[in-house]
Amino acid sequence: MKHDKIEKNLGLLMLFTMVVISIGGLVEIVPLFHINDTIEKVEGVRPYTPLELRGRDIYQREGCYLCHSQMIRPFRDEALRYGHYSLAAESKYDHPFQWGSKRTGPDLARVGEKYSNEWQVQHLIAPRSVVPESIMPNYPWLMKNDLAFSDIADRLRALKKVGVPYSESKAEYEANVKEFGQDVAEMLDIQKAQENLIKQAQSGNYDGDANRITEMEAMVAYLQMLGTLVDFSQYDEGHFVQFR
Amino acid sequence: MRNSKILALLIFFIGFVILLVFVFTGKERSKRLESYKNIPFLDDDEDEPKSSTTVKKDE
Amino acid sequence: MAHSMAAKAEYNYDIIKKFAAMAMVWGVLGMFVGFYAASELAFPILNFDNQYITFGRLRPVHTTLVIFGFGGSALFATSYYIVQRTCQARLHGTGLANFTFWGWQISVAAGVITYMLGYTQAREYAEFEWPIDLLITVTWVIYLYVFVMTLRQRSQPHIYVANWFFIAFILATAILHVFNNLAVPVDMFGMKSYSLFSGVQDAMTQWWYGHNAVGFFLTAAFLGMMYYFVPKQAGRPVYSYRLSVIHFWALVFLYMWVGGHHLHWTALPDWTSTLAATFSIILLMPSWGGMINGIMTMSGAWDKLRTDPVMRFLIVSLSFYGMSTFEGPMMALKSVNALSHYTDWTIGHVHSGALGWVAMVSFGSFYHMVPKLYNTKMYSEKLIFTHFWLATIGIVLYITAMWTSGIGQGLILRAFDSYGNLAYTFVESVSYLHGPYITRAIGGFLFVTGAAIMAYNLYMTAKQGKREAAEAAAAAA
Repeated sequence: MKHDKIEKNLGLLMLFTMVVISIGGLVEIVPLFHINDTIEKVEGVRPYTPLELRGRDIYQREGCYLCHSQMIRPFRDEALRYGHYSLAAESKYDHPFQWGSKRTGPDLARVGEKYSNEWQVQHLIAPRSVVPESIMPNYPWLMKNDLAFSDIADRLRALKKVGVPYSESKAEYEANVKEFGQDVAEMLDIQKAQENLIKQAQSGNYDGDANRITEMEAMVAYLQMLGTLVDFSQYDEGHFVQFR
Repeated sequence: MRNSKILALLIFFIGFVILLVFVFTGKERSKRLESYKNIPFLDDDEDEPKSSTTVKKDE
Repeated sequence: MAHSMAAKAEYNYDIIKKFAAMAMVWGVLGMFVGFYAASELAFPILNFDNQYITFGRLRPVHTTLVIFGFGGSALFATSYYIVQRTCQARLHGTGLANFTFWGWQISVAAGVITYMLGYTQAREYAEFEWPIDLLITVTWVIYLYVFVMTLRQRSQPHIYVANWFFIAFILATAILHVFNNLAVPVDMFGMKSYSLFSGVQDAMTQWWYGHNAVGFFLTAAFLGMMYYFVPKQAGRPVYSYRLSVIHFWALVFLYMWVGGHHLHWTALPDWTSTLAATFSIILLMPSWGGMINGIMTMSGAWDKLRTDPVMRFLIVSLSFYGMSTFEGPMMALKSVNALSHYTDWTIGHVHSGALGWVAMVSFGSFYHMVPKLYNTKMYSEKLIFTHFWLATIGIVLYITAMWTSGIGQGLILRAFDSYGNLAYTFVESVSYLHGPYITRAIGGFLFVTGAAIMAYNLYMTAKQGKREAAEAAAAAA
């Protein structure tokens, strides 16, 4: 430790600084990729359907994550208000994660199926018409804008590159059938992305307008699936504590 | 692997102690280190007191 | 004297003037956007059903303008000033330095415009989409090169400690920026991308970045500023140079561990957040090492506080630095965090650091530096006093409002009635926030008003400097 060498030699100073600032990040981040129980084994978690994914894109575009978290903590008040605490597995296909850092509005991790589609649409267009004390902005343009989805296959392909199991080849499709079952595997097929999106929009009719596919359609489809994938009644109470 | 945490803690702590000992021992070294604090005053403008270029202890 | 005049003529002050001017432009604009966004939370009608100015889109505009526009430009300006004056060497590469100016300003401008259009990576403080990230990366590498090459021309063997902090800041920011922005674009000609990591790993990477943006961008670098401008303004060398060496190494080592405290009680494994909490507590020591060193430098010059408004900015900034680096470790305790997380307490904490420490130390440094750049005196000392009081009262209103709303909301949401049911609905906590939100907006308004007065004062100072130089040249001719 020749400190006078370090302080006089710029190269050494920079090298030492690099070493010292690298340790913390390496120790905390790298093991997360290797330790098996970071992410629980749990039934039901699947990648987003094309329509849900477009909804998620819009959720990010509007900066929803700045006022709504998607991460329920293991406390009694949160269990009563929102439901079972969030599992790591539930966001394993989230690129990027949307846990959030602030609850100006309530947590949305399990908002799916809590309200009707009509309520969600009305609430997004004019929040104060259903919750008078709300301070959320109105989002009327979600209903006015048609959903852009011509590049949906490109979006799925980009997500495939970062590790989300959307399928392009027959083998990948078969693997998805094994992992998620026929119905879900069908939805994850990149070739059929556009077709699937339109089909889900028409059968779900999330925005209440049967003639158009609006941004509202995608947004509500996304909100209505949040937190609905895992059936917690299947598991013993306390089952997930072993993973914490 | 089981002892890696305590080992890491020891290494960091010892490293820190060595740094402490190095910086705070040795009259010459201390003097030299403290002399560097005058570097910002080496290119003083004419409107600043010249006296500040030398180490001032309490007035 | 002839020597020092010659040296002065050699310094590249032009680049510093440009960065300082843009720091004030982005600063006033960014603080105003902050005030407006705060008002939207108090009165949601201010969103005007306009998609470009909803709170969700303005918030990253505000954070980017103040952190990278104001803070970043202020750091470029002061680091270029300090490295030249402590090395007594001209800044390396005028063209390259100009490139860092344009690269940075274009990045900030492009960033805020694209956020308003809806392009964002949805990562806090790293919302820039990938093409802008690439421009920032190039700019940053050139910044490092310019800074290092200037240091290599220094006139004495030792590198002054302020420059260590700048070096650590530049290196750390480079690492953080690259790893947190790894993403795959949807197509090469579009803005949209998806992050490389997902879920837990992505969250940890983001908050490793997020907290070190605070640690290195908003702390280490501003400590570098402090280690030059506090001694210069006080007319006394730094209290203990050895303390600065110790707390430098401790600070840069410890900061990188603490990001996990943003993820307490989440799906992040417990060991990671425990480790982060532990290091957060230890971090108090080097933080206070810096604060004590700064404050002790001023001791013996306390009389200056009465007459010198610039000293007031510096001492208040160090006090807020001490306060918020105590509050931070406290909030990193899991039990406190259970209440404070997801509430305005965090927002208040950030602002006691950002307004109280970062902005105040920058204001003080600029009031010292800008007259020197133009070889004149400040246009109006009275306006500096006005600015000081507006800023201080603004901060106090801001953080007390956020303590009230944050702790209040935390308590409301965890309250039970005598049957064990939740005592309040969520929206009742939202109604409770209304009063504090108005107070906060008023605090922010006072703060931005002060900054606008400062911008005017600096502008008039520059104008006065140019006029004096022209007169001197005319007299000599």
